[in-house]
Amino acid sequence: MAYSDKVLDHYNNPRNVGSFDKKDPNVGTGMVGAPECGDVMKLQVKVNPATGIIEDAKFKTFGCGSAIASSSLATEWLRGKTVDEALAIKNTDIVNELSLPPVKIHCSVLAEDAIKAAIDDYKKKSENVGVESKAHA
Amino acid sequence: MKFYDALGLEPKLAIDLDDLKKRFYDRSRQWHPDRFSRSSSEEKQRSEEMTSMLNDAFRTLREPVTRAEYFLRESGLELSKDAPPELLEEVFELNMALEELRGGDESARGQLVLAQERFTGMLADADSGLSRLFASYDGKADAIVLEQIRATLNRRKYVSNLLRDVEKELNVHSAN
Ligand code: FES
Repeated sequence: MAYSDKVLDHYNNPRNVGSFDKKDPNVGTGMVGAPECGDVMKLQVKVNPATGIIEDAKFKTFGCGSAIASSSLATEWLRGKTVDEALAIKNTDIVNELSLPPVKIHCSVLAEDAIKAAIDDYKKKSENVGVESKAHA
Repeated sequence: MKFYDALGLEPKLAIDLDDLKKRFYDRSRQWHPDRFSRSSSEEKQRSEEMTSMLNDAFRTLREPVTRAEYFLRESGLELSKDAPPELLEEVFELNMALEELRGGDESARGQLVLAQERFTGMLADADSGLSRLFASYDGKADAIVLEQIRATLNRRKYVSNLLRDVEKELNVHSAN
C-alpha cells in the first residue's frame, strides 16, 4: 500500500513536533492510544485565555506514517482556531485531506480523539482556575 | 462460535494444543479437496470452504492472543476500547526514552538491555495473567473476567510494540 504524497510530506517534514509544559494552565494535553496497533499520540494546544483562540499546537506520535501525518496536519489546522472550532474537526476531514485508505482510518480517529482530549483537558483546567479564583475572592 | 464448531470444540478460552492439532489434521484430511475430485460441484465447493475455514480456525485458535481476541469479538466485546491513561503515559515515556537512546552512543546499550529485560518480563506477566484469566472464565463465565482479559490484551499490545522496537534497536547496534 502506497502512502499519498501528502502523507509522505507530513511524515518526512512533520510540522509542530514537540511539547509544552503540561502544567501550564493555558495548555491542554491529549494523550491517546490505539489498542489495535499499540500506537500512541500526544497532542497539545496552547490557548490564549482572553480570546479562546489556539495560538500554538504541538504533537508527538509514536506510530505509523498515517498517524504521524494525521497529527501533524491536525496541529496545522488547530492554530488560529477557537476552542469550539477545533472541536468541529472530524477524522473524515483528515481522511479526505490525506487520502487515507480504509485500513488507515483508525489513525485519523486517533488524531480526532487527541484533539478532543486536549481541548477537554484545557477546559477542565480553565474551569478549575475559575473556581479557585472565586474561592480566593 | 464457528471456529470452535469447525473443530468440534466447546468454546473455551483454555485449550489443549495437542488436541487442537489432532482435530485440525483429522478434519483437514477428511475434507481434503483431493478426496472430492469425483464429487459434485457442490460437494467440491463445500470441501474447499471447509478446508479454508479449518485453516483459519486453527491459525486463530492456536495462539492464546488471537484466540482471546476472537473469543472477545464473538462475545460482542469490541477490542478497540480506549487504552487506560496511566498505561499510555508510561508507554509514551518509554518511547521517548527509547528515542533518546537511539540518538545516543554505545553507553545507551546497557539501558536498552535493561529495557529489553523489563519488557520481556512484562510480556511474560501478561501471558501468565492471560492463562489464569482463561481458566477463571472457563470455570464461571463472569463478564468481569472478560473485561480483564480485554485490558490485559490491550496492555500486551503496547508492551510487545515497545519490546519489538527495543530489540530492533539492539540488533541494529550489534550489526554495526
Ligand atoms: S496503524 Fe496504528 S495509528 Fe496507524
